[in-house]
Amino acid sequence: MEIRKLLFVTKFEELCYDALNSLLTLRNAALEHVVFLNVIERDKVAMKRGSGYLKEEEVKLKETANIRFIDWAENLFEMGMEVGAYIEVSNLIPEILKVVEKESPDLIVIGRSHKGALEQLYAGSDVMELVRRTEVPILVFKHMMEDKIVPEKLFDRPLFATNWSATGKKAVEYIKGLKKVIGEIHVMHVVKEGALKSSDTHEVQKVRKEERAKLEDLCEELEAAGINARPHVYVGDPQKEIEKAAKEYQASMIILGSSEKAAIIERWVGSISKNIADKSICPCLLIPGEKNN
Amino acid sequence: MSKKVLVVDDDPDVRSFVVTVLEENQYIPLVAQDGVEGLETIKKQRPDLVILDVLMPRGSGIRLYRILKTDDDLSQIPVIMFTGIALRSFLKSQKVLDEFKGGEVPKPDIYLEKPVEPEELVAAIKKKLG
Repeated sequence: MEIRKLLFVTKFEELCYDALNSLLTLRNAALEHVVFLNVIERDKVAMKRGSGYLKEEEVKLKETANIRFIDWAENLFEMGMEVGAYIEVSNLIPEILKVVEKESPDLIVIGRSHKGALEQLYAGSDVMELVRRTEVPILVFKHMMEDKIVPEKLFDRPLFATNWSATGKKAVEYIKGLKKVIGEIHVMHVVKEGALKSSDTHEVQKVRKEERAKLEDLCEELEAAGINARPHVYVGDPQKEIEKAAKEYQASMIILGSSEKAAIIERWVGSISKNIADKSICPCLLIPGEKNN
Repeated sequence: MSKKVLVVDDDPDVRSFVVTVLEENQYIPLVAQDGVEGLETIKKQRPDLVILDVLMPRGSGIRLYRILKTDDDLSQIPVIMFTGIALRSFLKSQKVLDEFKGGEVPKPDIYLEKPVEPEELVAAIKKKLG
């Protein structure tokens, strides 16, 4: 599966041209079309007591976005790329889904969720709401640390954490489509401590050996597709261990499968993919599972 | 007989502006709001002139312009580019695509950078249609 068309959702805060520019390495794979989307949240222009609907504010916000998009589009057009743009007053997730329906992108790029803890408790995070409602992979873009540096080679050294689920298999196919931009991929599986029931060293090592063998098979599959891959088995809390591995191998991004079930339970207990997407310093590529509808 | 002019633009305010100008000058306006709809309308309605934006959803004006100018059946339809994208970027884009895809697409008949006064638009239309 190749990334030919990318939907770039921006509020002009975290995701600006530098972020877009770092994604253009995907042109070496298959990227040829970028669609911009800016959603002006309704409450910014909504009816207010005494002032009514803020039409002037809407025009100002739309024109500001339009000027930014024209500038970005000129750069991309000059590279021979195809560009489209949407500027809408709406709610973020429904509008993203509408544009996904019209444009059929291969990847959605968004910034991390800015909702507060309480808002997320009741409404869920934007990212997981999207995971729940689309099959299109989602890249949660982040600047590295607080100095706002954009990762230079975003796809060069990804870390893929698999739990051997169906979404993990879909992720593998997606990763194969990135073979021209991936330098080396680190593939990991985290064995939960509960799985190491025995106090017998032999039994514990047996679990590690089995997981390692599965990871080696997966790495061989990726290498057959032209991607250098290295397997790693970790033990412990998946979220912490994935973060640890990302740091140890200086991952340029974390790739995770994310199931619909996880998206539903995350609101109450917090799923691994949601927590990593929200909290990790690394950009995260979330591959949603197939939807039943 | 009045001539048909198609305006392809995603901005409803721009479509409305151009339609008003066309009606006031006895042209028959046709409208489309993106590149895909624009091409469908061109094939069905055979307009005498196309006024084309560049940055649009579902197929940019750059793509649609190339389709028109490389199609033997449609290449004779004159096109006025009407956009916020600079001419320099448009020409560079076509040059890169010429090299990448082969062939050479002619420059647009008229290139108007938004915004323009109604008189300027009318003059451009009359220059092409009389």
